[in-house]
Amino acid sequence: MAAPRHSAMLSISNNVGTPQSTSSDKTQIAQPQSPAQTPGLRVPSNRKTIYDRHLNRSRNAELSRASFAYLFAEMVTYAQRRVTGIQDLEKRLNEQGYPLGLRLLDLLFYRATSTSSSALSSSSTSSSPPNRPLRILALLHLIHGPLWRLLFQRSADALEHSVSPDTPNEYMITDNDPLVNTYISVPREMSMLNCAAYIAGVIEGVCDGCGFEAKVSAHNQPTEMWPSRTVFLVRFGDTVMEREKVLERQGVK
Amino acid sequence: MSTNKASRIGEEIWKTRVDKVNAELVTLTYGTIVAQLCQDYNSDYQEVNKQLDKMGYNIGMRLIEDFLAKSGVGRCANFRETADMIAKVGFKIFLNVAPTVTNWTSDNNQFSLIFDDNPLADFVELPDDGRAQDELWFSNILCGVLRGSLEMVQVQIEAHFVSDVLRGDDTTEMRVSLVRYIEDEMPPEEE
Amino acid sequence: MSYYFTILSPTDTPIFNIAFGTSKGGGDGIARFRFPDTAQYMNQFIIHSSLDIVEEAQWTNGGMYLKHVDTYPPAAAYISAFLTPSGARFLLLHQPPQLPNSNTGSLGSSSLLGPGGSTTRASSSSIAANPTSPQTEEAVRQFMNEIYESFVKTAMSPFYKQGMEIRSPVFRTKVTAAGKKWL
Repeated sequence: MAAPRHSAMLSISNNVGTPQSTSSDKTQIAQPQSPAQTPGLRVPSNRKTIYDRHLNRSRNAELSRASFAYLFAEMVTYAQRRVTGIQDLEKRLNEQGYPLGLRLLDLLFYRATSTSSSALSSSSTSSSPPNRPLRILALLHLIHGPLWRLLFQRSADALEHSVSPDTPNEYMITDNDPLVNTYISVPREMSMLNCAAYIAGVIEGVCDGCGFEAKVSAHNQPTEMWPSRTVFLVRFGDTVMEREKVLERQGVK
Repeated sequence: MSTNKASRIGEEIWKTRVDKVNAELVTLTYGTIVAQLCQDYNSDYQEVNKQLDKMGYNIGMRLIEDFLAKSGVGRCANFRETADMIAKVGFKIFLNVAPTVTNWTSDNNQFSLIFDDNPLADFVELPDDGRAQDELWFSNILCGVLRGSLEMVQVQIEAHFVSDVLRGDDTTEMRVSLVRYIEDEMPPEEE
Repeated sequence: MSYYFTILSPTDTPIFNIAFGTSKGGGDGIARFRFPDTAQYMNQFIIHSSLDIVEEAQWTNGGMYLKHVDTYPPAAAYISAFLTPSGARFLLLHQPPQLPNSNTGSLGSSSLLGPGGSTTRASSSSIAANPTSPQTEEAVRQFMNEIYESFVKTAMSPFYKQGMEIRSPVFRTKVTAAGKKWL
């Protein structure tokens, strides 16, 4: 039993009706509860809630790309009013993408377990449930492939590892023509801004969710052919790199 | 122009002239926007409604051009035709839904849009704080979009939600009222 | 069999928990832990003491369902774990009913061991009889998968933030139903 866990343990809320005093005031989370105390939200007379809606219902649904662009532009404009400077703005967009990454991660795995043709593996032969990524490469493939396909209906364009011996923890995922930049016109004074910071946040959420603490940033790297080409720089934390070495030795794939 | 004809136009444009994107990206991004507003305004839902309406208004002012270019439709003969155009062409193009137009007042100046489907609200459960279900109109951005886009074609309207399944209502209904036609107040841009 | 199910956030905060008993083989779905006076505390204690093992298994086994991961003999408690890819952990403590020849001093277990009833209950259900049998593993896996679905629905809402307590009565109903169906 690890010592720091005692506090968390004591904070577990009490649902079996046994009165348990004193410990609950140590935390703000997990109030004692029962269905009687939390009547919950009102529901329509057909009693339908989010729990009755199938998670695959919108799986192949499409919406107008312009609608996304309008919404996203409003999001950027709104964020812009509440920050000072481009760095702040990118940080905020990143933070807004982060929880999305966590959600998409669960959605991806749910869909992979609930359907016969796994969204996470390219081979349709495997019917076993998908694996959580344990190694960096597996995680990056998950992002480059399934995550990108879920969001943009195609894989990312490149996945690379830093060649510098000083930064073995850096990886790059490239999108030649990111959707978030195609329809967004950035004001001239913000020409350094890359709205793909939102997607960088999504990636960061996926990494963190899977237990790979990382910082992810979006960088403009235009080429003649791809003027809005963006590189997502993924920098893993030290603990991740250390664990990676241990798993390597253990032969974990 | 009949409702049916408007529906056909909407379907046709959606199928052939609209660039698409994964619906969930849009849905989740909208959810992020609303959740962020609720956080920034400390769950002052009246203020969140207002901000959403404002964002929608900005979008509407820009979106109308896209709408006119794609649909190629001209000026509507009356407000009833406008309603069909909004429901069957506008909503179809931008949200892939076609709400029902109903509950007209006898002077033909007010109607309701009933949404059987609302992609913006997919996956959403309002906060269980005893207030959100009474105060927040989650999809309020749509009211602003209507207001903004119609104003650009000289139709001043007022729009607000009167019910929402997210609040536990049986339908999601928006009420739209004609305020006035903005005629001859501004010089015509060009002829 | 008595069950204690809890969901822990990635930072070990409990965000949901529930106690229930088996509904298989004529069970009434009510939890009867061996030490009812201290069950609440004991269950939490046992679950949290299994976390180190869960964490170890987490990085050797890439599956979401890790099966039975730990046993706490003093309470005859078995722990099964399921990890969501986003870092939440579903932990199920199961405690088989006490055998008739052991101490029946506590109130909770004696009611289960009333004449006739308990024997039928225990023997007619392979799940209740053996917490580590393949049948039990499969039943728990189904149970976990079903809860995962409801969990994802919770987490998809833009107003749900990671680590928030799950207070929806509908979610609780879903968990209860899954318990009834599989365990």
